[in-house]
This record gives sequence, structure tokens and C-alpha cells, in this order.
Amino acid sequence: MRTQVMALAAAAAACLAIPAWRLGRLLMRVEVAGDSMSPGLLPGDFLLLRRGAPARDAAYGHVVITDDPRPEGAGRVLLKRIVGLPGEALRVGGGVQVNGRRLIEPYAHGDDPVSQHRGVHRLDDDTYFLLGDHRAASTDSRDFGPVPRDRITGTVLLRYWPPERIGRVLPPPRRFLGPAEPQEGGLHGGHAHAAPVGDPGSS
Amino acid sequence: MSIRSSIEALIRPTTVASAHCDLPCGIYDPAQARIEAESVKAIQTRYQDADNFKGAQTVEEYRTRALAIKELRADMVKEHLWVLWTDYFTPAHLEKYPTLHDTFWKATKLAGAAKKSQDPAQGQQLLDAIKEIDTIFWETKKA
Repeated sequence: MRTQVMALAAAAAACLAIPAWRLGRLLMRVEVAGDSMSPGLLPGDFLLLRRGAPARDAAYGHVVITDDPRPEGAGRVLLKRIVGLPGEALRVGGGVQVNGRRLIEPYAHGDDPVSQHRGVHRLDDDTYFLLGDHRAASTDSRDFGPVPRDRITGTVLLRYWPPERIGRVLPPPRRFLGPAEPQEGGLHGGHAHAAPVGDPGSS
Repeated sequence: MSIRSSIEALIRPTTVASAHCDLPCGIYDPAQARIEAESVKAIQTRYQDADNFKGAQTVEEYRTRALAIKELRADMVKEHLWVLWTDYFTPAHLEKYPTLHDTFWKATKLAGAAKKSQDPAQGQQLLDAIKEIDTIFWETKKA
């Protein structure tokens, strides 16, 4: 509870310290609709976001918003988590494999429908693979493909409503099953923006 | 209007971010479990009437086949209920329906018990339990 109050106080102090005309250019607020980010974020949660994508070297695990890239979703803002990073090869289905290694995802739940199993040869520079935490009930990069960095319009900082669940929304550390791979000369060689596989501190 | 709802209205963002699902959400339906449970009950009924069976099989063979099919159907009831329980329902639903876990637990136990029981009344209990889940499911769809 103390952490929650401090997070809210810090957000309020930050807001007060910044002139109102600049606040809207730095921060934004959204209300969550839908269950695909449960149990972390629930319908009716109010979120404070920093405009723009997260830092390139620490993008994994951030919850972000992007415009729905599909024609049928025009005008809709989507809320998903960054799971795949530029330069990575992903396999999604029954969990996520990054460059052949199983990603540990404590935030994810539900079985992916077979129709949403995907194999991505390699993500382009400055593109991210976004997934909902509720894997059985999410429309995300499995359906509309990787999302370019410049289409990510906000990064979630904290939830400020409901009061009993106020708190920061932090990206989890990135962990994999099994031993870490060598960071040089391995699958990530030449991809400056890709987080080192198996490095829990990479995010 | 309570103080809480007044504050909520005051600080509500104007933008909605969709943590949504186009297709998979739409394919959940307790009807799948119900259909399999109806099969279970029908097999229990036929098992009881097996003495009146007239066909190429003996009554013993007929009953043996009925048991084997019922075993499969009861497992499919469990499978469909588990998918609903673990994939469709969320913590928010549990907050609104605090007996949800218990309801599912009882229903899946009844599906397990149906493997051992040849009594159609037992099959009806299973159908009633699924009906309870069905009611909750469609209430959540309206929300």
C-alpha cells in the first residue's frame, strides 16, 4: 500500500512540476477495455502513460499502446505487451521461444489457440512483437504481425484507478529456461537493439 | 452518486485502449460441454434400457460399448469446462461471481463421477451444473 501511495504521489508531483501545456505532450491517460491483458490490467483500470515507445535497449516487457494496424480496426487503440525485440527469431505457440529458447513469462496465461501459433523468422530492425497476457483471448501480433516502433504511441507507467490497485506497471525481468547463450557470435550478433538472451537485467 | 463514482467520473480518461480479442473470445461456449453431457446422460439411459436392446450385439457387448463411449464423452465434458474455466474466465469475473471456482470444481467432479455412474439422474446433475455455468457465462457476455 505504501508503494502504491508513493507511486501516486510521485506521479502527482511530476504532474504538478510540469507546466500544464507540456504535460499533455509528455503524458497521456487511457482506460482499459477488454480482458486480454488480465490479470495484470483489468477492464476499467485507468492508466497513465508516457507518450512514445520505451527505450530501445529496455523495451522488453513494457505494456504499450499502438493503433490497430488493420483496416477493420481503424481508430482503435490497442493495449499489449512487448515480447519480441528487433532482430529476434520467435516461435509462438504453447509458450514463446526466442532464438530457440523458451521465454519464462509469469505474466502470461491461457493456451494459445492453434490457429494463432506463429513462427517469425526474424523481426526487422525497429519492430516489436506484441502479445496480450491472456494468450487464449487476445488479438495481437499473432494476427496483425510485428509492429514498427514508430507506431507505438505510449508506454504504460502506472495504474491510478481503482484506488485499491494503484501502482507502477513495471516490465518484468527477461528470463529464459536453460543456460544463457554466448552474447557474442551467437544469434544476436549484429543486432544492436536486441536484448542479450538470458540476461535477466537486460530490461 | 457515491463519492467514489464521482471521483471516477472526474478522472476518467477520454481515450479507451482495447486489450481486446477479435476471434478466440467468440468461440467459447458452454454449449460444447452441455452437448457432451447430454450424450453422457443419453448413454446412461440406454445402459438402463439395454435389456430391451435388439440388434446384432449381445446385451453385454452393448453395455460395454456404452461404457466406453460414456468414458470418452465425460472426458470431453471435463476438457470443455477446463478451457472455459482457465481460458475464458478472468479474475474480474471471479470478483463478481465468488463461487465460480467452486461451481467449476463441482461440475468437473460430476463429469468424473459420470464415468462410474450408470444412473441418468447423475447425468442430469451434471447438466444442471453446466447450466449454472452457462448462466454465469452469458451474464459476463452481456456486461
